Amino acid sequence: MAADPIQQFALKKIFTIGHIGGQEIAFTNSSAYMFLSVAVISLLMLGTGRQLIPGRMQSVAELSYEFVASTIRSTAGSEGMKFFPLVFSLFMFICISNVIGVIPYTFTVSSHLIVTFGLAVLVFLIVVFYGFYKNGLKFFKLFVPSGVPLYILPLVVVVEVISFFLKPVSHSVRLFANMLAGHIALKVFASFVGMLGAIGFIGWVGAVLPLGLTVALTALELLVAFLQAYVFTILTCIYLNDAIHPGH
Amino acid sequence: MAVGLRLSSELVAGVLGGAALGWGFDRLLSTSPWGLIVFLLLGFTAGVINVMRTAGVMAKQNERL
Repeated sequence: MAADPIQQFALKKIFTIGHIGGQEIAFTNSSAYMFLSVAVISLLMLGTGRQLIPGRMQSVAELSYEFVASTIRSTAGSEGMKFFPLVFSLFMFICISNVIGVIPYTFTVSSHLIVTFGLAVLVFLIVVFYGFYKNGLKFFKLFVPSGVPLYILPLVVVVEVISFFLKPVSHSVRLFANMLAGHIALKVFASFVGMLGAIGFIGWVGAVLPLGLTVALTALELLVAFLQAYVFTILTCIYLNDAIHPGH
Repeated sequence: MAVGLRLSSELVAGVLGGAALGWGFDRLLSTSPWGLIVFLLLGFTAGVINVMRTAGVMAKQNERL
């Protein structure tokens, strides 16, 4: 009855796609849930009709568009709208896959660091390339503060370079750690119900408490699932804003 | 809570990133343990700077452009 709280994050191979350089490329349950999220998003965005008076699902699709668009406009300005496809895809993918992950017995895609790190590196590379495109070699001034004595400058530049390259790390760790910690806490409290229930009648009475907590935590997880997708999106917008409008 | 989580993840990312960088440096150049020591400290410094930037105590990098 006592379930391992880490078990839910196990990757299981469904079938093998092929081999690249002796390394097996497998289609795992993680990939399956990624495809499921994309399918849900496509269904929501494409399959809900284009009526003048929107139905329930069409309203959700339009609301999500308005929500992301207003987030970009308020943080990165209307120039940031050229990155709308990227930001909207990121937001919808993270939000939908997180919400799917709250359903019991499902897999949470963003509970693996490599997935969130991949998304964060994508954003980071776009920001760096766009920054170079926009500012040219002046982009390197990012690492050289003015008014620092020459003898201490090498150390400061090294620290500045490291702190610049830490951006995608903290960007991805935030989403990953939230999803991981939330799901482990949920699983631990849920397993208390089974453990207490195994004692007998007194255990069943005592199990009410962790059961109530599990229900409350599920609601909290639903909030965290949305909130972390929003935080990831708004940080993406802030980084894009740094590249679009330098010197602000 | 959201602000605290943001700041703490910034610091954790700094230390972890520095440690990973130093470990990789040591593995490539077999200078163990000096790379780990130096880059862990540099990573910690960078993490503290990022925390201060996030909190708005220090000027952001992109203000130099």
